[in-house]
Amino acid sequence: MTAVAARPAAVAGDPESAQSLPAILVARAAQTPDRVALRSKELGRWREIDYRTLADRAGAVGMGLVALGVTAGDAVAIHAENRPEWVEADMGIQGIGGVSVGVYPTSPAAECEYLLGHCNAVVLFAEDEEQLDKALEVRGSLPNLKHIVVFDTRGVRGLADDPMLMTMDELIALGQEQGGVDAWSREVSNVGPDDVSIIVYTSGTTGPPKGAQLSQRNLTSAISTYRQLYDVTRHDEVLSYLPLCHIAERLVSVVNALGAGYVVNFGEGGESFNTDLQEVQPTFLLGVPRVWEKMLAGVSLRVEDASRVKRAFYAFWLAQGRSVAGRRMQGQFGPVDKLRYAIGWLVLYRSLRTKLGLGRIRVALSGAAPIAPQVLEYFWSIGVPVREGYGQTENTAQATGMPQDDVRLGTVGTAVPGVEIRIAEDGEILTRSDGVFVGYLDNPEATAETIDPEGWLHTGDVGSLDADGFLTITDRKKDIIITAGGKNISPSEIENRLKVSPYIQEAIVIGDRRKYLTALVGVDAEMVGNWCTREGLSFTTFEDLTGKDEVIALIQGVIDDANGEFAQVETVKKFTLLSKELDHEDGEVTATQKVKRAAIARDYADVIEAMY
Amino acid sequence: MAAPMQQHRRPDRTGGEPLLRVEDIVLRFGGVTALNGVSFEVHPGELFAIIGPNGAGKTSMFNCLNAVYVPQEGKISLDGVDVMRKKPAETARMGIARTFQNLGLFANLNVIDNLMLGRHNLMKTGFVAGALWWGKAKNEEIHHRHRVEEIIELLELEAVRKQPVGLLPYGVQKRIELGRALAMDPRLLLLDEPVAGMNLEETQDMARYIIEIQEELDMTMILVEHDMPLVMDLADRVMALDFGTPIATGLPSEVQNDPKVIEAYLGQPADPDAKAAVEHVLEAHQHGSDGEAST
Repeated sequence: MTAVAARPAAVAGDPESAQSLPAILVARAAQTPDRVALRSKELGRWREIDYRTLADRAGAVGMGLVALGVTAGDAVAIHAENRPEWVEADMGIQGIGGVSVGVYPTSPAAECEYLLGHCNAVVLFAEDEEQLDKALEVRGSLPNLKHIVVFDTRGVRGLADDPMLMTMDELIALGQEQGGVDAWSREVSNVGPDDVSIIVYTSGTTGPPKGAQLSQRNLTSAISTYRQLYDVTRHDEVLSYLPLCHIAERLVSVVNALGAGYVVNFGEGGESFNTDLQEVQPTFLLGVPRVWEKMLAGVSLRVEDASRVKRAFYAFWLAQGRSVAGRRMQGQFGPVDKLRYAIGWLVLYRSLRTKLGLGRIRVALSGAAPIAPQVLEYFWSIGVPVREGYGQTENTAQATGMPQDDVRLGTVGTAVPGVEIRIAEDGEILTRSDGVFVGYLDNPEATAETIDPEGWLHTGDVGSLDADGFLTITDRKKDIIITAGGKNISPSEIENRLKVSPYIQEAIVIGDRRKYLTALVGVDAEMVGNWCTREGLSFTTFEDLTGKDEVIALIQGVIDDANGEFAQVETVKKFTLLSKELDHEDGEVTATQKVKRAAIARDYADVIEAMY
Repeated sequence: MAAPMQQHRRPDRTGGEPLLRVEDIVLRFGGVTALNGVSFEVHPGELFAIIGPNGAGKTSMFNCLNAVYVPQEGKISLDGVDVMRKKPAETARMGIARTFQNLGLFANLNVIDNLMLGRHNLMKTGFVAGALWWGKAKNEEIHHRHRVEEIIELLELEAVRKQPVGLLPYGVQKRIELGRALAMDPRLLLLDEPVAGMNLEETQDMARYIIEIQEELDMTMILVEHDMPLVMDLADRVMALDFGTPIATGLPSEVQNDPKVIEAYLGQPADPDAKAAVEHVLEAHQHGSDGEAST
């Protein structure tokens, strides 16, 4: 559309030196207007969006919001799955000085009501009929909410009759009338590095979610960190699939995408995740432990079904891979190892990785929760160097990362560039960097508890630093189990060991102030179901499945194996299978599938008591 | 304010000209009268359900609608055009599509190919052009493939689109069959027991898809189904058949409470004659199922 040269020089400068994300977008649109910024799979075909189009649409969204009366500092919420419109809205909001608030697509209506009410959102972007229905259900108690913008109008009724509703296209048309991207670019130059730009609601494993406010400085500081640590460039490709309102995915799909200029792919999501991954073959992939565990479980299952010869072949090359991986992790990837790996690549790793969608992976990360070393070892064996990182919303997910050539399993690596780490006297991990957040919205007490006067962020995690600066995390401070015998035990270490089994999806270890440890175990319905089919056992529902003596014996075997690797006091003496799958809507897990221990302890009190 | 958004039953459409008009159909197989004086009308955008005990003549009625059977008496017209003496393929071209009680998919073909088959009768380029994949034929295929992708999105089949149909679960196969019927861009869609043999979850999914099809595509549909809660939830109007004779037609709530319908289903007759009739139902049930299975 309009000539880019006409934009103010103040913001259309170098993307590397821009002070805010929208300014980076403006600069990229000026420098490389035709480069692909986003790709999205629609009706079976990949559609490309270049930087010019992205900036034009984001700018129009921004100016449309101005026309609706949104001013600097106002909160605007986005309640949608990952899609290009999410990024357009996010940039549009931030560019006019607004505060962008992401809501998890799985959040039920009551949670929307709490979040939108808490941040006083004035406009809501609702993805489709489903999310719109949630908003309409609770809008009566949200007096500040003035407008709802709908991305996908399929099945939506009453759009024309309801003055509060409008479509994304209408908003963009409105924004174009207000000067579109040129006017927006001028607004962008007013966004300062210390302005609060996004609010990320922490998942809230205890109590209601808290709104962590992040500034442009917080976000842009992550760009240089990623560049130095992972060497991401504009030639990289990522798949955007974890919820965008989570800080980690936001960094990968929005912040660093703009910073490094790589392509973000939006697939069909949900059940199509594997197909999306196969088609995109990303070079840079962030996964939560569950994603890696699930991939490993899928391969294990297929191998179990394969013929004896194939199984032996697989086992042989996996062992080769493992021995090569061991040395590679220590930075000793010599010529002999390279040759062994190359042969393995020809006969197994290449086809296996391509099938998993990891064929081109250069950098793979695991974060958001601890992952079992066995899972990491597996991926290194097939040549996918999954590196663990550690961080949280409050430090813009910047604390530690695993160095490429000195991988120490069981630790979360060393402090990333620009971050200081210290262990407090009580063992709590403290971090200080440009990533440390502004504070919790309307919660000065919690903010004061989290950031001390010297700027150290109290992470709430307990851990230790070794002589080389590698950080080991014991557990969440409040989750540490102190047994009746006075021993300190980290439940997550045991839980992660149990979750290595493809049959176990969730494990909750209990034992605070008790004589011994017990566990609630949630089985993986698909894997255990397949196992039953192979064993010739029939079952109907999940409850029926978990009540079978054979299944209980199967899990007992897994627990016995794990117990063999722990000290006597850390062994799980008894366990009970959960008779239902834990669910976000039932308040048992957070939107990121983290178990809410307090809720579980309450809901399953009698089950737990029965084990003691 | 949320109410209109969540409401699935649509406004009464029975005022205008009907799309399908069925008048006094009589269908006999030798001495057996399968349909006896069946009349009804289906209006554009309406979801009309036919219910009845096994062997009541529901599938026979469907087979008359797409000209597999030719009734001895009566008249069937789609938008004023007579359907009865056409060949089944011609009724498809007129815009009548159906799904089957027993799956009729090509197990070795993938989902896309099965749906593309549904578009076959809409393709206009000839054999040679199609074989050479040149010019018009190519553009036409792209157009049809686009339409198929829209159906894949509507029925949420993205994750399986390239998998052979035979490997997929039964519930998904039923959905694919529905998709293939939709791929014909029909004016009238006949659904023969779309949730037969499904578990509760699959049934609920199917109900959602049927609602979506009605709301988004404004599709006119006739549904034959045994699952009463489903029929009562989805249908705009219901006709109950018993021994090939219509015993009630009206809103779901009216038909559900009609004593004759209750009697036909529960078999608790008020008089001895009717008791004999129930025994007859049980017999007819057996014959009926056999007969239906072979069609």
